[in-house]
Amino acid sequence: MTSPSDLHSPTAQSVATYVNRNAARVKKTLAGMAHHGPSVSVRQTDYKGHHIEIRTTYEITVDRMPVMGQVLVTDEGQVQCHALPNYTFLSALDLVKSLIDAFPEDFERSAKGHPGGMSSMVVRKKSKARRTKDKTGALARRKMSKRGTKKRAAKKSATHKRK
Amino acid sequence: MAVTRSNILNNATARQSYVRGVLLLKNEFTGPTTVSLGIPGPSQPVSTWDLFVVWHHTAMMTMTPPSQISRNAAHRGPVFPAWHRFMLYQLELNLRRVLHDNSFGLPYWDWAADGDLPAGQQIQSKVWAADCMGGSGSPIATGPFVFDPANAQSFRVRLVANSAEQLVQTNRGLRRSLASINGLPTKTQTAAAIAITPYDASPWSVSSSGFRNRAEGWQGADAPALHNRVHVWIGGDMSPSTSPNDPVFYLNHCNVDRIWERWMTEHGRNYLPPDSAPASLKGHRLHDQLASLVSAPMKPADTLDMTSIDQYDSLSV
Repeated sequence: MTSPSDLHSPTAQSVATYVNRNAARVKKTLAGMAHHGPSVSVRQTDYKGHHIEIRTTYEITVDRMPVMGQVLVTDEGQVQCHALPNYTFLSALDLVKSLIDAFPEDFERSAKGHPGGMSSMVVRKKSKARRTKDKTGALARRKMSKRGTKKRAAKKSATHKRK
Repeated sequence: MAVTRSNILNNATARQSYVRGVLLLKNEFTGPTTVSLGIPGPSQPVSTWDLFVVWHHTAMMTMTPPSQISRNAAHRGPVFPAWHRFMLYQLELNLRRVLHDNSFGLPYWDWAADGDLPAGQQIQSKVWAADCMGGSGSPIATGPFVFDPANAQSFRVRLVANSAEQLVQTNRGLRRSLASINGLPTKTQTAAAIAITPYDASPWSVSSSGFRNRAEGWQGADAPALHNRVHVWIGGDMSPSTSPNDPVFYLNHCNVDRIWERWMTEHGRNYLPPDSAPASLKGHRLHDQLASLVSAPMKPADTLDMTSIDQYDSLSV
């Protein structure tokens, strides 16, 4: 093995240094997880000179709120998800039941009969906007409003030009 | 001189050192914060123990290649045993550092020995005793990792993945739901895995027929099997991608590593795929860099023979 000596004898300082060096990559990965939509599994094989491709999309809701995690189906037809990375299921229904068991906080609002609020991501986004109305929620809305105004202005200008 | 990794139930010194080391790393803060790592919520320092949680979660969320949603930088592909050997090694080194003991070797839990007991007796294993890992509960109420809100030094879970796979902050006790599935893996099942060749095979995924996929636990009539089954059997915080929160995580993976070592003593220190494999397998080929966080990276090739550093007290799996 040829590698830096701190690979084999780390110090508190070397740990901090490497973490800081890798922080941008971690941030990017974590940010990416916040934006994925419905997951698409692609199964492919060749058979008697034909190419088979099966694309499967899961759109799952619990109490009418979307489950945000990635769900995939294997070549053997088993259903799996990233949120429970060691589990495998014959049925997507069983998978969702296990999600409810494993992440009770994410589903507790709907279990208590509150309208909406299934995944913690959705709940947190809503509560954050409420908590920081002046700093974040209002600012974001203002930005959106400005964008809307600009778009309308641009559209108007384009219409004039066409005329 | 190589350090010996031993069965946690047969070595009280290793057991006590591991517990002490876990608590030291849990309360060591070297500088990184939740903000510096892009974790939502208020800025909090991230302990060295929790950095390993972040590392595992991030590797699991790094798809290899990004165009698909199954194989990631540490699981569901050829790199699974090598990446975790790298992780175990880095944890072991950091435990030695905080324990000031260069002879410390990570202990393992020979879970198949418990798996050979009747299902009802498996939860009675000494590994769940108060002087070892503690028991079941939400949160656990026995053992060295019990949460005490009044004691800032007590073990607690600070970072956890939610159902949307996002890393979020929390402050609560460790959760386990022992015997969540009927029965741990058995010695017959580990022996069957050891007999499988080659190491791995196309399509290099959860559908592969080689040793790696059987040991990881995706194949076989008993799936989730072996490694996966242990996660599922323990449940609680061993379920999501932040499973390194539970100190039992490393006892499980040390045993998986021991099974891999046994496989290599029987079949040779062979690894697949080779460097000539297509770019779609980047991250899983022999000399590709393993996803790292707390140290310089290693390569699968670096991990194939670490017997000059670590040896097991027994390869009877």
